[in-house]
Order: sequence, then C-alpha cells, then structure tokens
Amino acid sequence: MAEHYSSFDRRGWRWLLQRLTAAFLIVVLAFHFMLLHFVNHAAEITFAGSQARMSQVGYFATMLLFLVTATFHGVNGVYNALLNQGLDGTAKRVVLALLVVASAALLLQGTRLALALTGMDVSL
Amino acid sequence: MSQSYDRGLVEDFGRWREFSAGMWAWVLHKFTGWVLIGYLFTHVAVLSTAVYGSSIYTETIRELESLLVVRFLEVGLLAVAVFHILNGVRLLFVDLGMGLDAQDKSFYASLVLTGGIVVASIPTFLGGQV
Amino acid sequence: MSTQLPESERPDADGESTGTSTAQQGRLERKRAGTAERQAREESETAGEVETVPLEVYRYDPDVEGKRRPRFDTFHVPLEQGMTVLDALIYARDEFDPSLTFRHSCRQAICGSDALFINGEQRLGCQAQIADLDHPVKVEPLPHQAVEKDLVVDMEHFYEQMRSVEPYFQGGASEADAAGEEQLQSRENREKIKMSTRCIWCGACQSSCNIAAGDNKYLGPAAINKAYRFAMDEREGEDVKDHRMNVLEQEHGVWRCQTQFSCTDVCPKDIPLTEHIQELKREAVKDNLRFW
Repeated sequence: MAEHYSSFDRRGWRWLLQRLTAAFLIVVLAFHFMLLHFVNHAAEITFAGSQARMSQVGYFATMLLFLVTATFHGVNGVYNALLNQGLDGTAKRVVLALLVVASAALLLQGTRLALALTGMDVSL
Repeated sequence: MSQSYDRGLVEDFGRWREFSAGMWAWVLHKFTGWVLIGYLFTHVAVLSTAVYGSSIYTETIRELESLLVVRFLEVGLLAVAVFHILNGVRLLFVDLGMGLDAQDKSFYASLVLTGGIVVASIPTFLGGQV
Repeated sequence: MSTQLPESERPDADGESTGTSTAQQGRLERKRAGTAERQAREESETAGEVETVPLEVYRYDPDVEGKRRPRFDTFHVPLEQGMTVLDALIYARDEFDPSLTFRHSCRQAICGSDALFINGEQRLGCQAQIADLDHPVKVEPLPHQAVEKDLVVDMEHFYEQMRSVEPYFQGGASEADAAGEEQLQSRENREKIKMSTRCIWCGACQSSCNIAAGDNKYLGPAAINKAYRFAMDEREGEDVKDHRMNVLEQEHGVWRCQTQFSCTDVCPKDIPLTEHIQELKREAVKDNLRFW
C-alpha cells in the first residue's frame, strides 16, 4: 500500500478547519436559536425586524460568517461521510465537484439574501 | 485459496443492538449533521422570499409558523441542533485528547442534556400565536 | 482428544501421593483414578446430568456440498470451570465434528490467532470465559473479512495494512548505532509507547471498525497504532518520523478515524487505540502548521 501515497497529498487542513468552524458554530448556532426563538419568537418575525438586525454591521458580518462556516462544515461533513463509505475514483471527483457547486450556489444565494434583508434591491 | 465467502456489510447496521456508546454517538452525530445541512439549504431557500419583497417574506414566515406541523418540526430541529452542538463539544474534547476514558459517559450526558433542553423549550416553541 | 485435558480429567496429584509409593505406582494410581473419574462422568452424561453450554458455530466450506451456504451448527459442550470459548471449540472439534475449523495456537492471548466474533463482539476465543457470556454462545468468524472456511477468515488485507506502515524499527541514524552500541531508550519514552507495543496482530480492532469496513483503503486502528509505536520512538531520526507521518497523513490515514471507540472497546490487550490515533492527528496538524 505504501507506494500509493505521495507527499503532495496532506489532508490535515480539512480536519483542522472542520474543528475550527465547529468551535465557531457552537457559539453562533446557539446564539441564533436563542435570538430567533426565545428573544424574538419565530412567529413574530417580520421583514422590518430582520432588516433592523441585519443593518447592524456586526450582526451582518456574523451572519455572513455563519453562512460561510456552516456551509463548509456541513458540506465537508457530507464529503467525509461519503469518503468513510469508501467513495473513490471518478465517483469521488464527481461528488466533490457537485458539492463544490452546491456550496457555491448556497453561498451566492445566501449572500444575496443577506443583502436583501438589509433592504438592498438584489432582484435579478 | 479456492473460494471464500464475503459476508459483506450486513452485520454492521443489522447489529445495532450491540452498538456501544461511541458508535451510537457517531451514528447520531452523522444523522443530525445530515439534517442540519439539509435544513441550511431549505432555510436559505425559504428566507430567499426576501429578495422578492418585504411583505412576501413576512407573510411566508407567518403562514409557515401558523402550521402546527411546522412548530413540531422546529422542536425536532432544536433537538437535532442541540445534540449536534453538545456531542460536538464532546468530540472537540476527544480531539484534544481530553477525557477519552469518559467518552461514553459524556455521550450519555449530552443525550440527557439534549432531552432536558428540548423539553424545557417546548412551551416556547409551541406557544405564541399559532 | 487435544493435548490439554480439562481440569476434572486431570488426576489430582496432591490427593494421590503417598509417601512410600514409587513414582511408577503413583502414575498407575493416577491413571486408575483418571479412568474412574472419566467413567463416572460418562455415566452421568448419559443420565443427562452434565451441565452443557450450547455453542452456535458459523459453518461454511466451499468444498463441501451441504456447507456452501453458510449455516449455524449447535454443539452442546460439557461445561468446565474456567472454560473459554476456545476450549469449548476444541472440545466440539475433538468430540463432535473433526471438520470444525478455526485458528488457534498459544491459548494465552499472545499469538493473536483466535480473534472471533463472539456474541456480537470481537474477542479472543482464549480470553472469552464461557461463564461471562450469555447462552447460547454464538461464535462467528471476524466480520468484514472474507470467510475461507468455518471460523477462518482471510487476514491478507489486514497484514497488508500492517506492512504498509513499515512496522519495524528504523534507528540507525544515532551516534550509538554508528559506534556499534546499543540504542538506549529513555524511561519516559518507553513508558509513552508501552501500550502501543502490546499489539498481537489479532485483527479484532480492524474488524470492529465501521470505517475500515466501508473504506477499504483506510489504514485501520492496528496499523496506525503500529505506526504510533515507531513514530513516537525517539531513537528514530527526524527524516524517518517525517516519512512515517507522511504515510499517516494521507486521506486514508488518520483522518478517517471517526472516534467511534469500537477498536478501543474490543482490543484484547487494552491498547488505547483511539487515543493514539487522536494524538497522531494533532501531531500531523502541528507538522503542517510548521510549513505554513
């Protein structure tokens, strides 16, 4: 087996990033739930309320970072789960490409949504 | 070697009764993870109504929140998120090499804590104007 | 009968010995006592008084018509105090069915040849006490390996993974070695790798690992532990350690471990496998941070 390995192939960064995003997400996800279910009841959410929150730079930046980290953490988790099941070869490359495209789409739409919630016109 | 018999992976999940704590923790962590990433996509999709105007956004949320099913699904989402968070904390400690001997106890603790938090949150989630 | 007699058939030397009898007399006496005991036992057996343990054993043999489809055979083995699953299997083979096939050798958890799937858990047959198990005792070959015959599985993949981490000491760079002297290890360092040296290559951990089952390229707990034993050995040079870490840092190396603790739970030598794998992950991250 040893000959299959090459030194250009160190994957530790994905493992580390998964942990770092986890640490961030623990705090922000808990905050998100508290704010939008306990402080503000979900049923009472209005555009005006969302706009008021999203207009604060700190909140906006946190939410955007929340989107980026959650997307990475989630999609990387899915990719890992598939690797654990023995995903390999062409199928692996195809899945990776699909996941990257899905992530990019999510990030794009998420950013667009975030801007829309500040009151900006982002309709195409 | 003349011939051999491949028993395949049948015994893996067919033997769930024999799973130990660490295995259950992994199964539940993966399951909740799949739910959460699935929800992230849905969440962004639903909130994207904001792109088409402020009133559609408000109305969509109001309408969804008026459905009892949605309220129950939200409780489920909370359970999933809380477990993923608590077991995630447990896993971070495991990754740091801390408390490995108590990994089973910390899993049970995260289960119990999840249950407690969810039960305590039910009034808030189901209450309010339905 | 195998070379080992069950306790009750072994003559009780202390009770038999009389000060005056010669060695020959003693032997004859013991033999007579043994025969009497055996007869008594056989009698009680026919009377159905002997407590037996039902042993459900997985049977498969590609060369025998009726055994091409795996099935379970039940053997009722007379229970002895201190009987292990291996003892029971040996009894079943010697007394009931000589075609019953399983690997075993030392019977004292050192050779690592009798790892079996007993009542849903990977254990050594020689370490599993019948008294500790629920009845019937279900004995199967190790999961996730192809079955050759009965309880014998193909271990080649496991050995291949073990070989891939170069499981041998590669010192040679030290001054001591150059001077033709013994390469001594510090007490602390020995203590650090102590548990990892206990591996007997039985393959129980690999078989218990859900990830190793799904991802065939995953090195697996045993091989990673073996790599740990040498990577953490201070007597090996930096370049050797680098080389070892390089193997472990591959996609199918340490990162695939999902800390399910299955391996640690089943290891018959109580090696903290998960702990070692986790330490190597951190070591790998530290290594890579240095290059950033």
